Amino acid sequence: MGKKKCVAMLLAGGKGSRLSSLTKSLAKPAVPFGGKYRIIDFTLSNCTNSGIDTVGVLTQYQPLVLNSYIGIGSAWDLDRKNGGVTVLPPYSESSEVKWYTGTASAIYQNLNYLKQYDPEYILILSGDHIYKMNYELMLDYHIEKGADATISVIEVPWPEASRFGIMNTDEEMRVAEFEEKPAFPKNNLASMGIYIFNWSVLKEYLEMDDRNPESSHDFGKDIIPLMLDENKKLFAYPFNGYWKDVGTVKSLWEANMDLLDDECELNLFDHDWRIYSVNPNHPPQYISPEAEVAESLINEGCTIEGEVEKSVLFQGVLVGKNTVIRESVIMPDAVIGENVYIEKAIVPSGMSIPDGVVISASEQDDEIILITQEMIQGICS
Amino acid sequence: MKNRMLGVIDATTYHEDLEELTVHRSLAAVPFAGRYRLIDFVLSNMVNSDIESVAIFPKYQYRSLMDHLGSGKDWDLNRKRDGLFFFPSPLLDSPSKGIGSFNHFAANLDYFYRSKQEYALISNCFTIFNMDFRPVLDRHIMTGCDITVVRQDGHSLEMYLVKTSLLISLIENRNETGYTCMRDVVTDIHHSYMICNYEYTGLAVMIDSIENYFAASMGLLEPEAWKNIFKRRQPIYTKVKDEPPTRYMKGARAQNSMIANGCMIEGTVENSIISRGVKIGKGSVVKNCIILQKTQIGENCVLDSVILDKDVKVESGAKIEGKNEMPLVIRKGTVQGALMNS
Repeated sequence: MGKKKCVAMLLAGGKGSRLSSLTKSLAKPAVPFGGKYRIIDFTLSNCTNSGIDTVGVLTQYQPLVLNSYIGIGSAWDLDRKNGGVTVLPPYSESSEVKWYTGTASAIYQNLNYLKQYDPEYILILSGDHIYKMNYELMLDYHIEKGADATISVIEVPWPEASRFGIMNTDEEMRVAEFEEKPAFPKNNLASMGIYIFNWSVLKEYLEMDDRNPESSHDFGKDIIPLMLDENKKLFAYPFNGYWKDVGTVKSLWEANMDLLDDECELNLFDHDWRIYSVNPNHPPQYISPEAEVAESLINEGCTIEGEVEKSVLFQGVLVGKNTVIRESVIMPDAVIGENVYIEKAIVPSGMSIPDGVVISASEQDDEIILITQEMIQGICS
Repeated sequence: MKNRMLGVIDATTYHEDLEELTVHRSLAAVPFAGRYRLIDFVLSNMVNSDIESVAIFPKYQYRSLMDHLGSGKDWDLNRKRDGLFFFPSPLLDSPSKGIGSFNHFAANLDYFYRSKQEYALISNCFTIFNMDFRPVLDRHIMTGCDITVVRQDGHSLEMYLVKTSLLISLIENRNETGYTCMRDVVTDIHHSYMICNYEYTGLAVMIDSIENYFAASMGLLEPEAWKNIFKRRQPIYTKVKDEPPTRYMKGARAQNSMIANGCMIEGTVENSIISRGVKIGKGSVVKNCIILQKTQIGENCVLDSVILDKDVKVESGAKIEGKNEMPLVIRKGTVQGALMNS
């Protein structure tokens, strides 16, 4: 294997338990998003668009869908002779089985993978966020600053700052202090969970961390604070643009709705920064003579005979006659019967909604309904 | 048993009546149904019928066809053994009369010599259909025919099933027999071959003029026709593109239409077929139209019974109307100003 300047390690083992039944049988990065994509498409497309051609994807929780989706990486042009995408599941050694216990230990357990490429820099990513970012610019910044580590940060509204890992920086953007979910934040620069390290430095810290029985083996909780304690050069890289953690049903719904907003910075139609995905082969969408479609994002393979407004419909969705779908996300191959009313809801992949079902959140409640099989059985029994 | 047939697609056909759409591309590469090219139908049918080796014989303007087919990956034909073969004709000025021109095949006889498949299915490249060829083979073997012709209502669909060895001998002996193509063989009354017919009852349309291109396209808006062509278990494959889903903006209206991905629609679309990456501006009305890839329609335009080829730009306020039975074709890459057609 040839030497690489920068290798990306994408942490994709997350359970995403706040996404409830959506992540019952698949990992969070594999959750469908935006009418066509899975969450991980954004990070993988960012890699390929940033010229990073070597990506290790660390999987652990419910990996079947994710693994088969990633395949050999051809959808993202990451099927390469030297490098490309490699799925890295936890494995057993002669003495023990080593599950990935933390973000840092997951990387540490794949030292052999990284050794093959002997990179100068290592980019740590998570497969949980929706954003478009040029990692090459971040790497340039890291090199220019002469940093040991660079952490990508985004300005969050002050009232929300206490929900994030906050970086306290000087004027040069050098990180002085890192606070995980501070009750009284001193700054509003939140860590995006994207790190660039000099590999030689990180390796040393991973080894140290591995020997520490007290450590939770996490980048945010252990590695970064230890590096700060030892006065390493850590810089914050300010990112301006759309970035969203789609960790809850509500935020997943919101991020989908953002795609219908003209003002939204996340442009899927930008040919210079395409979001790649596995393209299932479906005929064009068919809009029937009775149908009405407004302010929506609709994928191929859909048949629309009802009314669809402000909604995101994935491939292969059928919408029956006299059915109304409003402000909802309908995941792949869902079949919505006739005379159905759905408002502010997420319908998971492959679900059948029988004729006449009405689902909408109550007026005062701003929660989003994640429709489940039990719910449908309850309504229909 | 799988892999018993070779697929042979004759893509050398040129229809003068389709000139407006074939100036820049071979007939096989004429776009159809929003995201397909004509060749996708026969090619997908072959793949869905367990054919693993397909030879395509193109002739004119085949850049777009080659670009479309690539390595054959989208049809699962990028194989180590067998797969997709592309044999451009070296004989540019010999006009061919029928499908399966032996002269063209002769230049690449090695392909037929090397192939181990016992049978060969020879087909045209311009039929819209979704057909399983395996029953044709079963019947062919059972009845002990030499040549089976696929027909619909008695008319030949220009698809022939023969033993590969017979095809080779027909090619080798073309000068002695005087047969130039498969049609010559089956229409000759003096030969000693046993010719059988296979009647295909599904939907099949051979595209040979602008009128029937338009009619066949519009016909797909009928759910019955649609279901006959797009079957979940026998998908029609095509080159996939990384286009986002289609976006309907404020003020958009769509009815009785087939719309591919990557479009941005702000206007009204009725009884139309819209290909990938098309933009339709605010206040524009598109009716009874076929709009091909990446064409951009400005604001407040009125288009009725028009076929807009790829990359056409229609400036705001333009009004273009064709006749229902004879649609107007706007050539690839042109700019249509507001005053030009009023």
